[in-house]
Amino acid sequence: MISGVFSPFRKSLFLKVFSLSATISIAAIYLLGAQLHDRVTERIIEEKIRSSVVEGRSAIQYVEYRFRIRTKGEESDLKALAEEVIKSANVSAQTSGREIILINTEGKRVDGLPARISSNFLDISSIPNQLRIEVQNDSELKWQEGKLSYVNGKQMPGVFVGRIIEIPKIGQYEIYAAYDFSGEERTFSLLGRALWGTGIALIALILITASLVLRLAIAPVRAAATVAEKLSSGELEQRMEVRGEDEVARLAIAFNEMASSMSSQISRLENLSRLQRRFVSDVSHELRTPLTTIRMASDVIHSARDSFDPAIARSAELLLSQIERFEALLADLLEVSRFDAQVAALNLEKVDLGRLLDQILSDFSSIAKERNSQVLLKMPEHLLTIDGDRRRIERILRNLIVNAIEHSQSQPIELTVKQNLTATSISVRDFGEGIDRQYLSRVFDRFWRADESRSRFRGGTGLGLAIAKEDALLHGGDIRLWSERGLGAHFVLTLPLAQESEIDDFPISEIPTDAK
Amino acid sequence: MTSVMVVDDDQDLAEMLGIVLNGVGIEVDLVSRGDEALEVFRNNPPDLVLLDIMLPGLDGIEVCRAIRRLSTRVPIVMLTAKSDTHDIVRGLEAGADDYMVKPFKPSELVARIRTRLRRITHDTFNSIEISDLTIDINEHTVLRQGKEIPLTRLEFDLLVALANEPGRVFTREALLGEVWGYRHSTDTRLVNVHIQRLRSKIEHDPENPSIVLTVRGIGYKSGQSSARH
Repeated sequence: MISGVFSPFRKSLFLKVFSLSATISIAAIYLLGAQLHDRVTERIIEEKIRSSVVEGRSAIQYVEYRFRIRTKGEESDLKALAEEVIKSANVSAQTSGREIILINTEGKRVDGLPARISSNFLDISSIPNQLRIEVQNDSELKWQEGKLSYVNGKQMPGVFVGRIIEIPKIGQYEIYAAYDFSGEERTFSLLGRALWGTGIALIALILITASLVLRLAIAPVRAAATVAEKLSSGELEQRMEVRGEDEVARLAIAFNEMASSMSSQISRLENLSRLQRRFVSDVSHELRTPLTTIRMASDVIHSARDSFDPAIARSAELLLSQIERFEALLADLLEVSRFDAQVAALNLEKVDLGRLLDQILSDFSSIAKERNSQVLLKMPEHLLTIDGDRRRIERILRNLIVNAIEHSQSQPIELTVKQNLTATSISVRDFGEGIDRQYLSRVFDRFWRADESRSRFRGGTGLGLAIAKEDALLHGGDIRLWSERGLGAHFVLTLPLAQESEIDDFPISEIPTDAK
Repeated sequence: MTSVMVVDDDQDLAEMLGIVLNGVGIEVDLVSRGDEALEVFRNNPPDLVLLDIMLPGLDGIEVCRAIRRLSTRVPIVMLTAKSDTHDIVRGLEAGADDYMVKPFKPSELVARIRTRLRRITHDTFNSIEISDLTIDINEHTVLRQGKEIPLTRLEFDLLVALANEPGRVFTREALLGEVWGYRHSTDTRLVNVHIQRLRSKIEHDPENPSIVLTVRGIGYKSGQSSARH
């Protein structure tokens, strides 16, 4: 599943590089933007606090001053003064963003002056406790950031500036000026939006550039890959297009040089092997005419052998039999050279296997008798005909049966035919000496003999099984072999029923039932 | 005495063929060039021609065509060093009746020559009628509405074999045995090519034959029942 998800990334260089550069640029721009945002807001807040402290100091001084002046006059006006102070703060808060809070340090209500009073219903508890403690313990001006909470639930970050003032005859009051950051907050959100916009635009720009550059860089790689695929599928004349003098052009030139040297090497080798095959075929053909003359001459001599003395008569017999062997060898060599040159073709017709086997067995009955081995044929009553080359199928069967008779050591030979929907198998089982496992893969090699010292079978060319295998493969079938030393051998020829169909299942396994 | 013209550029082989054929009572005329072969054929027509395919002067295939223009009757057996389908089919299409691939057994060559020279005689019938054709076995002629259709001896033999047993399905192997004298050969190209040639001469529409019919997957049979006299 994981490879399924990632496979487009594994398969496309473009996607890989593009997604990597997208991730990196998004992360970098996000981090840079966040840092810029933090730095700027920090500076603005610092500045705001500084100016708030300066402003707060004078505002507090002014309030203190007014109280001092007033306390020299009629004391009963204190409440009105406080209300006036708050009222003016109420009004000025709209423009300066400043709220004023008065708190009697002892929490007492004195002469109508409330123990605590604030402008615009600012919640007095929103003054940070820490600040109040600092203010109560020192006569200096103190300040701290906090949150301005109003009775109506509105909240806003801001800064509180406070000091103790002494109102004569009345007592100590804490006076605070609170400044909210609403203006700054607006600036921040504007800044944030601007940063986001710039960031997104930058990322888009980077990705567009990256994809353009990638396309430029990957296009030649893709072209090279396409051309390489065509080359490997045999279109040796395929070349890359060379444009300009850049690295891409150098790649194309180098690639084309490689392709040219490769194709010239291939055509040189092809030429060599064609010459070689041609030579084998020509030699075999050239040999045929003189061999025909020799053959006829030896036949004439052979037919007159009765009038010769015994040694010459025997020589005439040997001459003829060796010429026959030579002919068989030459015919097999030609057949092999046809396979090598890939000009072997099937001459297809409907083949009746039952009739073919009957005919072959009757031809072999004398040899089998001579070798003292009995051939038993097991065949279903109704056999479908198969699409095949009769001459080749007959040759395969003759080879396998002759081979079995040769190695049967007078044991019976079992021939079995089975069919399924797609294929026919014909197995040839002998119970002779068998073949060592190590040699099994070499049985179909040309001129291979299991035992070099063993006498050669009359007429055998050493090419029979090699040709049989090629014939079977040409049909889209196969010959499989099982054998064990001392247990005999089991050759199974399997051929498709129809040439256009594939073999699903082999009707007979090469492992014989008696060996399982 | 039977005479055979041997056309082969290999002098030793030709001489050896001469020895073998003389040994069985056949007179031999040896020719080594393709162009000479036509001269000899005109001046001294043989009973049969043994013709090599590769020849100097004039290619064996061309010689074969030229001889067929001079005589539809004379049997031509090609000798070839190549068993490749292409050359053989070309030779058969040029009018050769049979072929032998070198190296061949002398006895087999003699048997083939004898088969080609054999005259079919029929003990009981003199003529067979099939469709609108009249086959005169003794005269070796095929007539359609009194006009003779020129057939080679082999084509005649093939037609007689089929017409003699109307309706019987002959496998290609059976025809090879009956007409060509082969016992084991499986080269069915011979049959196919000659059936085509025969049809092109006797059928009204060779594409849709009505006299020599194909039995799919098996072989051939003759069409409408025939009368014997």
